[in-house]
Amino acid sequence: MEYPQNHRRIVEELTTGKFILSRDKHFEELVQKEEFYAEFFKVSFDYILNITTEYAFLISKETDENMSRDISIFFAIFCYELDKQGKNFLDGLQYAEYSFEEINILFDNSSYIDLIQSNKQLKDAEARRRLIFSTMARKNIIEKVNEDRFYFTPAYKVFTEFAKVLSNQRSMEESVEE
Amino acid sequence: MIKAEPKTILSFLWTYFEVLRDLFDLQQDNEVIRKEAFQAVLHQHKKDIKLQLMEYKIVRQVNDDYELRDVYYKLIEFILFEFRPLLPEEIDKFGNAITELFRKIKKGVDSDRDILLERLKALSVQIKEFSDAVEKNSIRLLNETRDLKGNVHRVDYREKIQKASFWIEYYIIPLNRILDVNHSQSISNKLLNISEFANQRRLNYDDEGVRQAFEKLYHLLIQTNDDVLRQSKILTNELLPLIERIRTESQILTGWIEFLKNPYRVTPPKLLKMELDSPYSNKIYLNTFEYFEQFTGSDDAIIDDDQEETERWIFKKKKYKEELVKSLPIVNFFEWCNKQLKSEDKHITNEKLFALTCLLFEDDLEVTAYNKDATVKIKTETANLNVPKLKVTQNGIPAES
Repeated sequence: MEYPQNHRRIVEELTTGKFILSRDKHFEELVQKEEFYAEFFKVSFDYILNITTEYAFLISKETDENMSRDISIFFAIFCYELDKQGKNFLDGLQYAEYSFEEINILFDNSSYIDLIQSNKQLKDAEARRRLIFSTMARKNIIEKVNEDRFYFTPAYKVFTEFAKVLSNQRSMEESVEE
Repeated sequence: MIKAEPKTILSFLWTYFEVLRDLFDLQQDNEVIRKEAFQAVLHQHKKDIKLQLMEYKIVRQVNDDYELRDVYYKLIEFILFEFRPLLPEEIDKFGNAITELFRKIKKGVDSDRDILLERLKALSVQIKEFSDAVEKNSIRLLNETRDLKGNVHRVDYREKIQKASFWIEYYIIPLNRILDVNHSQSISNKLLNISEFANQRRLNYDDEGVRQAFEKLYHLLIQTNDDVLRQSKILTNELLPLIERIRTESQILTGWIEFLKNPYRVTPPKLLKMELDSPYSNKIYLNTFEYFEQFTGSDDAIIDDDQEETERWIFKKKKYKEELVKSLPIVNFFEWCNKQLKSEDKHITNEKLFALTCLLFEDDLEVTAYNKDATVKIKTETANLNVPKLKVTQNGIPAES
């Protein structure tokens, strides 16, 4: 059996929790061999391979709940605050570039300040820097422009889709109540 | 029959436009103008014009209520650019009329000339009305969408989703279907067929009058097709993406707000949880780093050193006063304090020193300062104090020099 040229890279990146993005060369190889890799990860590690048109990542049965929750809270507050300023947050996620200072201002002035201060990964500038430039960067959820600036990769959609599901669940619950 | 001169009516419209506008708003909201509301508007403007409104046939009575006659309603609607959004079914009726007229024109193209000309005229009217209706609807839908985008009515996110979905489902998508030239049943497609037919007949029809009528129709259709194409582009390129975006954004925000109410109760998106690594794995460094990183932001810890248990010093004023009186006269008060404290346990603290200073305020003692520059240095456990040199004597007894 002949493995794709970037097989090791694909496996290493995915098994270390990274998102492989459609702009990456090895994404194409992964998509072409989707069936093979889906089976490979299932049989070898019991992981589920998730591929969209923009990114690919692995899901395990047990999830890294703390990290996922911290990142979700980050996106929730980011979207909420951007909307509060009258900005289009989807454009903000998709096209804009941010300085770390801008994010700090957004979070320090948030009405969710109690929640922010009680969260270890968001409570102050140092914690937020670690979350964004270390945790999220390592997972390819953001792309560093330099040590102070970054933009979001399409991996943010995992979290916005999660928000959509919550919204739909709420609508369904309400319609059942009615 | 209207007795008044046309100019009188126009002048009346001009003079009382504010009243008419209020009546128009009422009718727009409630379809009719309730009797009480009608009287309230006239009363508010202090204009007793009910008689003229009826006489000029601007308003008509509907049971006990009133309504603006269609022609005036449409005039004001057009002037104010405040169109009622038309349901696609209302626009579709033009399509039916156009189809029927076109079918009859084709069938009777070589029969009676007069009826052919009448049908061509009627077809032009229907096409113009269709084009007008589409344009008005696009304007209204754009305004509605922009209002929704700017949240003019301050509705919450969930209502925004519902409104956006409503406009998409009942207005925009069906209208788009009517305008989609690629759809065989769309009105735009029918207009294209009519245009082809009119183009041929304007060139080869025997009768010149009919040829001219086809010529007019053909040019009207070219204009209408351009207009419809423009409206279709507004719908597909601007309106639909904009409203779809409002819907998506509102949906995401509703989800986030729900999540933020209690983020620790909701299961977050599933991500990979990495297995434990062997110490010799080449990933061990990053994984260990990441693991410990989640604890690096923990709260500040305050370490309180265990302190030796010591007997708490209590200022026994009586005892120190007796000692002080025994030592009178005292040449240097703070020096005496220093010696006194050292003789006890050698721990001279600010607290002890300042406690002793209260002896200076005893009535039977007289305290005299030497001069401003005469100071003495006392070292406590936490500070070096520069204090004045003070002489203490028994009150009334002069100190020995």
